Amino acid sequence: MKRRSFVKNVSLASFGVPFVFRNTQYEAIAKKLFNVPKNNEDRVLVLIRLNGGNDGLNTVVPLDGYDNLMIQRPNVILPENDLIPVVGDNGFHPVMTGMASMINDGKLSIIQNVGYPEQNRSHFRSMDIWTTGMMDPNITTGWLGRHFEVDHPDYPDGYPNSTFEEPFAISMGYELSATCQGTQANFSHSVVDPTDSTSLPNTGGTNDGTYYGDHMEYLEGIIAQSNQYGQEISNAAGQGNNMSTLYDANNPLAMQLKDVALMISGGLKTKVYVLNVNGFDTHDNQVIDGATTTGTHADLMKQVSDAVHAFQDDIDQLGLSDRVAGMTFSEFGRQIASNASEGTDHGDAAPLFLFGNCLNTTLYGDNPVIPDTVVDQAGLPMQIDFRDVYASVLKDWFGVDETTVQGLFEHTVTFHNIIGACNLSTEEQSLSSSTGISMVYPNPCSSKSTVKLDGDGSEVKIVLYNTLGERMSVIYEGILSKATHHIPFEMDEFSRGSYVVKIMRADSTESVSLIKI
Amino acid sequence: MNYDYEVEEPVSLSMNPYTGAWTQAEAAHLLRRTLFGPTYQQIQDTVTNGMAASVSQILNPIAVGTPEVVSTDEAVATMGGTWVSSPLPSTNQAVTENARRNSLAAWIMQRLNTSSYSIQEQMCLFWQNHFAAEFTFDSRATYNYHEVIRTHCLGNFKQLVKDITIDPCMLVFLSGTENNKFDPNENFARELFELYTIGKGPQIGPGDYTNYKEEDIQEAAKILTGWLALGLGSDTDNDTYAQFEPLLHDETTKTLSEHFDNAVINPNGANEYADLIDTIFLQDEVANFICRKLYRWFVNYDLTTTVENTVIVEMANTFRTNNYEILPVLSELFQSEHFYDVALRGAIIRNPLEHLFSIFNSTHSVPNYTTPENYALYEFAYGVAATTGMSYAQPPSVGGWTAYYQAPSYSQLWVNSTYVKLRFNVSDWLTLAGGFTAGGNNLEVNHLDFLDNLSVPADPNAVIDDMILVFCPKGLDIVKRTTLKTILTNGLPDFEWTIQYNDYANDPGNPTFADPVEQRVALTLSQLFKMPEFQTI
Repeated sequence: MKRRSFVKNVSLASFGVPFVFRNTQYEAIAKKLFNVPKNNEDRVLVLIRLNGGNDGLNTVVPLDGYDNLMIQRPNVILPENDLIPVVGDNGFHPVMTGMASMINDGKLSIIQNVGYPEQNRSHFRSMDIWTTGMMDPNITTGWLGRHFEVDHPDYPDGYPNSTFEEPFAISMGYELSATCQGTQANFSHSVVDPTDSTSLPNTGGTNDGTYYGDHMEYLEGIIAQSNQYGQEISNAAGQGNNMSTLYDANNPLAMQLKDVALMISGGLKTKVYVLNVNGFDTHDNQVIDGATTTGTHADLMKQVSDAVHAFQDDIDQLGLSDRVAGMTFSEFGRQIASNASEGTDHGDAAPLFLFGNCLNTTLYGDNPVIPDTVVDQAGLPMQIDFRDVYASVLKDWFGVDETTVQGLFEHTVTFHNIIGACNLSTEEQSLSSSTGISMVYPNPCSSKSTVKLDGDGSEVKIVLYNTLGERMSVIYEGILSKATHHIPFEMDEFSRGSYVVKIMRADSTESVSLIKI
Repeated sequence: MNYDYEVEEPVSLSMNPYTGAWTQAEAAHLLRRTLFGPTYQQIQDTVTNGMAASVSQILNPIAVGTPEVVSTDEAVATMGGTWVSSPLPSTNQAVTENARRNSLAAWIMQRLNTSSYSIQEQMCLFWQNHFAAEFTFDSRATYNYHEVIRTHCLGNFKQLVKDITIDPCMLVFLSGTENNKFDPNENFARELFELYTIGKGPQIGPGDYTNYKEEDIQEAAKILTGWLALGLGSDTDNDTYAQFEPLLHDETTKTLSEHFDNAVINPNGANEYADLIDTIFLQDEVANFICRKLYRWFVNYDLTTTVENTVIVEMANTFRTNNYEILPVLSELFQSEHFYDVALRGAIIRNPLEHLFSIFNSTHSVPNYTTPENYALYEFAYGVAATTGMSYAQPPSVGGWTAYYQAPSYSQLWVNSTYVKLRFNVSDWLTLAGGFTAGGNNLEVNHLDFLDNLSVPADPNAVIDDMILVFCPKGLDIVKRTTLKTILTNGLPDFEWTIQYNDYANDPGNPTFADPVEQRVALTLSQLFKMPEFQTI
């Protein structure tokens, strides 16, 4: 199913293996797939900022490192038996039942060890880096702001207009998200109550030809813009709908996501929604002493997990599944070792979540390695650069071409095969399995990986190939029952590079690229 | 909307003393640019005292106290005292530190909520924007950094740069503490050239930015090695302080590029950083760079070629002649023909702090509760200013707030389609909806006190004229003026307002008379505050 990105892995130069796949059927598809898919124009991205630095190691617990975590963070560690087992030898915080069920449905993806080189542990500076997507401290434009600016360099001059009547992005709450900052203005419009249709009084301004007159004209225009965007939003909210019963009125994030679903379902053409949850800076009292599954962090993760689960449920029921994807981010993870205050201090890399119906995998990257000795102030080293996650989302979710994406960043971009499983035309989809999307996780992998696929009671053969088309191993051969199956396989003996997992059935063949690192 | 059309340039580019009429309009212009919202009476006093005496008085520094302990979360210093020289506790430092940060934020807001006839708070904010460091993790260091700025805000710029260079807050903010001879860190050195002193010119060669080169940054980083910021987070030290550690200092001889006449900086230990700064200040461009920033802050964002070749040249010349004393430059500027040119009135959109505090200050609105109660309201005000786009002590980047450097919009960046709504909400809140609330107390516009101190409060025409004078830099057209007066008088003949006001004035404690008057003023101000004209200074 991942053929589009699969073919594009030609550009994955960082793995050092030229990719050649000799199959004319796929080459034909490849040509088509180099064109930007047409179905991404109405796509929506929901960004959730976990403000303060989320403790990744108490969110997604690497079970293979659990013994060492006992040594490192005795004051905050979650009891192993309470963890919810998810993919790839990981366990979720016990409050994250909603997100765990999404993993099982293939609607949540863990991207492991996300960060950036030479992690800055200042909240402010690090959040600047995450929102701008740049290490240069003089850059003030956000990564999404620059993306919008490619097609709309004059914004806000001349907006809204008859083609773009609605805001490009919406920040829920009062604060405009720095991710959407453009050169001249922020591309997001803040929404507290989408049904609020009140208009600001616009008393007008006369341009007398001076600097002051310029401001009068500008202010008159900006009041009009505010009113017009407000009107479009309240119209959409009035026509929108919510279907899920899972939203909890006491969960502030859930209520904001409910409003987001309302606006999307009401036909608002806004591309990006940004939400914010404060309180993740858990230096002390992250957990309650002696009851580590409770406390500040548990409350926060429950809020996030329940809210995202409810939202996904709503989006699915509203029939918007293929249009909406989401991502969480936080300025850094926390240190491996706990501190003496039942908390954790500023660290480095941490997992990031993607959610939606079009994910390529439920686990990407290796589990973090937990050393058996405490090193003062040690955080987790980063493995995947968050800027490459952004770049991959722009390419595979919004369909931005690679050259344009590269132009938005200062570093050399590496694209990851994480999202965009819906990027196929009907014709291409017909070539694939009729029973659902198959996945390989973790991907990239190191020693082993797993194929997840839906059986339909018929014969399936799963084979691992190298990039020369040589058969490396047979992963599975036989009948698979009508259920979702997880089939592990070893990668230990193979060298680093690109591979292909081919899933062959009587009526179809599916290929998934796999990278060993 | 159109951002780029031609605007009328000032008629006068002269820095000679202004000799035209000295009326309410000129006086109000001077005060709008130098205070956070003048009162009606301050404008009258400025007219009476004349330009020279008024400017002289505005340029005086004023004394401020220290931030107080108002929270029981503070574990070391005592309630009612100050925490600025008290160590942090040994445990739960974050709780005490959080209380201190809130206290510091509230205290700064309190300083802005002042009727003092001084430019000091504008200058402090100007330098905070220039040396745009953030809150550190120890508020004592943050406080000290702001004290360095306040001490020198009208003093000697060269000394200010020297003190900031070894200020613990700055050492932490720009990695000075990580800069040593084994592993030089260029973070501060780069900004010292680019943002703090000489500015980055066009790139004219590899690593050559006209005014300095990459190699100057490398050499400067070596010169600045060896400084430590100590006492931060300490539970024993009373103060945070910088300390020079010779073992970490690069003792080689450093040489700057031809942009600094190949100056050689000899090893000079703890004084070497000052030698570097003295060397940078030998270049004329330093004065040009700072005068441009002062011009953008106090006069106009648009630095046209003609302004550059006349006004800036003159200002920079004054700056250098006076050995980088700031006061003579400002004194000349605020008495110049150029400054009072009518084409420059209202050329700047109020920043969020000017927006908020001119509403308070011009209406004599100050909370009069206990210090902890006042601080709670000021914390609230801090949050509102932050929400509307400006968090004091937390600029968005090392370059300061975009409105002061980002072409072509500059101060228009303060008002976007969202912020305009927030601004209107805030002003409605302060006039019509009881104002900020914290701990059961309110901070709102003091409508009656404002009214009582206008020229002829019983005359609705005079009330409207005075309101426009205080809040609108270029007046209002007849339609808007009439709109406001209709709101004030509720559409009734003028004498009805006069009767109503006089009834109230004769029995001010009687709500039967006071409430209707207050309500009319509140409605009028809330409308005025939503007019584009009020958004400019």
